[in-house]
Amino acid sequence: MLAKLTGWLLLGIVRLLTGAQARWYGCPPKAEQRIYFANHQSHADLVMIWAALPEELRSITRPIAARDYWANTPVKRWITTEVFNAVYVERAATGAAPVAPPPEAPPQAPPPAASNAPAERIEPSMEPLLPIETVSHAPVAEGPQEIQGQLDLPAPPPPPPPVAPPPVIEPEAPAAAPEPPAADPLAPLIDALRSGDSIIIFPEGTRGHTGEPQKFKSGLYALATMFPDVVLVPAWIDNVQRVMPKGEIVPVPILCSVTFGAPIRVEDGEERRPFLDRARAAVIALRDV
Amino acid sequence: MNQFLRSLSPTQQVAALFLIVFGLLFIVSTAVFFLSFKERRNPVHDESWQAELAHFRALLGTTWFMVIVFWIGWALGETVATVLFALIAFFALREFITLSPTRRGDHRSLILAFFVVLPIQFWLVATARFDLFTVFIPVYVFLAIPVASALANDPSHFLERNAKLQWGIMVCVYGMSHVPALLLLTFPGYEGKSAFLVFFLVFVVQTSVLVQHLISRRMQRTPFAPNVSRSFNWTSWGVGIVVASLVGALFSFITPFKFGQALAVSIIACVAGSMGHLVMKALKRDRGIPNWGQKGVGVTGANGLLDRVDALCFAAPIFFHSIRWYFNV
Repeated sequence: MLAKLTGWLLLGIVRLLTGAQARWYGCPPKAEQRIYFANHQSHADLVMIWAALPEELRSITRPIAARDYWANTPVKRWITTEVFNAVYVERAATGAAPVAPPPEAPPQAPPPAASNAPAERIEPSMEPLLPIETVSHAPVAEGPQEIQGQLDLPAPPPPPPPVAPPPVIEPEAPAAAPEPPAADPLAPLIDALRSGDSIIIFPEGTRGHTGEPQKFKSGLYALATMFPDVVLVPAWIDNVQRVMPKGEIVPVPILCSVTFGAPIRVEDGEERRPFLDRARAAVIALRDV
Repeated sequence: MNQFLRSLSPTQQVAALFLIVFGLLFIVSTAVFFLSFKERRNPVHDESWQAELAHFRALLGTTWFMVIVFWIGWALGETVATVLFALIAFFALREFITLSPTRRGDHRSLILAFFVVLPIQFWLVATARFDLFTVFIPVYVFLAIPVASALANDPSHFLERNAKLQWGIMVCVYGMSHVPALLLLTFPGYEGKSAFLVFFLVFVVQTSVLVQHLISRRMQRTPFAPNVSRSFNWTSWGVGIVVASLVGALFSFITPFKFGQALAVSIIACVAGSMGHLVMKALKRDRGIPNWGQKGVGVTGANGLLDRVDALCFAAPIFFHSIRWYFNV
């Protein structure tokens, strides 16, 4: 009862401050099992997407909350569990967790470990190998990229075709060693999906600064291959970083919207990295709809 | 008829006014509702006709919304009316800030604008402290906002960012706060009827914008400033002003003004309102957007709230101060 009241109150505040408008392009709001994956720019993203979903979907959709931020005080913990019905993940682990079970792995198989030290560090180290396209294409005349709420920027170029990473640093290799499933940061998400709930995840792992989403972590691919029947819906959350930038505690009223796009799926035999890049492109494409 | 109206108490007169407006709106809405059933025979002609009808229905919807807002404001008293206008100012400023790029360093200034300046300004209105209310934003706030920004330690685009924020506060908060301030003006022999003044201002300004819009659609003259507005030209502007001012003068019996005075204040309000509308169009053009709503869909459904109230925001301060100066109230 108290949770419901708090939920309404919170919903009212979020609508007053941001409008919390949901724009459904590409798929209707429908009560099927879904994984919503969105860009991540602020802790308020979770509240935003929760508020934008219609009432009926809100009750069957569980957002993913970083335990170190959302569960560090009793009040926040109560709100996330009782009002948002969130699933906690350890951010330190998911942030850099390139958990990638082989695509053919059945859901019952114990997923490979995330705390695999080499696998964790290798993924970020691949970044310099890829062409850094985000900064160089920004139009110089428009001023610094950091200006928020730009509207008339030309559409960003689609991310370049992924450069095939050298096989030596492919993190699949060390992940082969089986570990106890308790170490798997995806385990709570897998539990939620198995019980039939939809989930909301932020595959970037951490919040970005630039407005351009970072590369997606592989958790999305892992979940997509383990649950091929769950519909993957991309979502773009607009403007939230202006409402509450990193380090601020008082939100400012600015209109925000959540755009939901056409579902995507893992094609037969599609590799991990191409799929993740395609998923990221699908999210970015929604920015200019 | 006139005798009967004069015999009513001020409250009853205002109620009668709302009754008439609601009645007119109801008749027009019913007519439009039945027109929407009209069959399409000629595909080309009917298509444009349908589009025009849809446009008109959107306008009608906004009119209903505004009239109901005013009615609630009047029915529940001056304090509620002030709160209502404060909410409108809040939503308008929200739209303005959303579509003006801000930087991280502006966060504290934005908090100041939304949660300190706006409530204080409307509190000053509600308590009728007219001297402070007139200078609070142009003096105190305009000097305080750059200080908050400078303390945020971000010099890039400093003047531009502060000017944007100050302009947003000026239009959305300062301008809008003058509408409820009209409720508190006390003309001798006009007690309890200041709601008419608000109605008069809104009615005259909206009429001028509407007439100007309709005329420019019909006449297709060459626009005077095509880079800012494709529809603005002096002919339709003049017709809009004349029609709205005459309508305002005819309504002088609901105001404390004589016929000539009502005509003069109507002209002042219409010129300020239509020019303000043009200024806000220039701002929209600069941002590359057709209206202040969010990517085509705004708070009020048709488009942004600010599109509807921008003329009022410009007209209200000038109207307020000119009648305060001339009538010495």
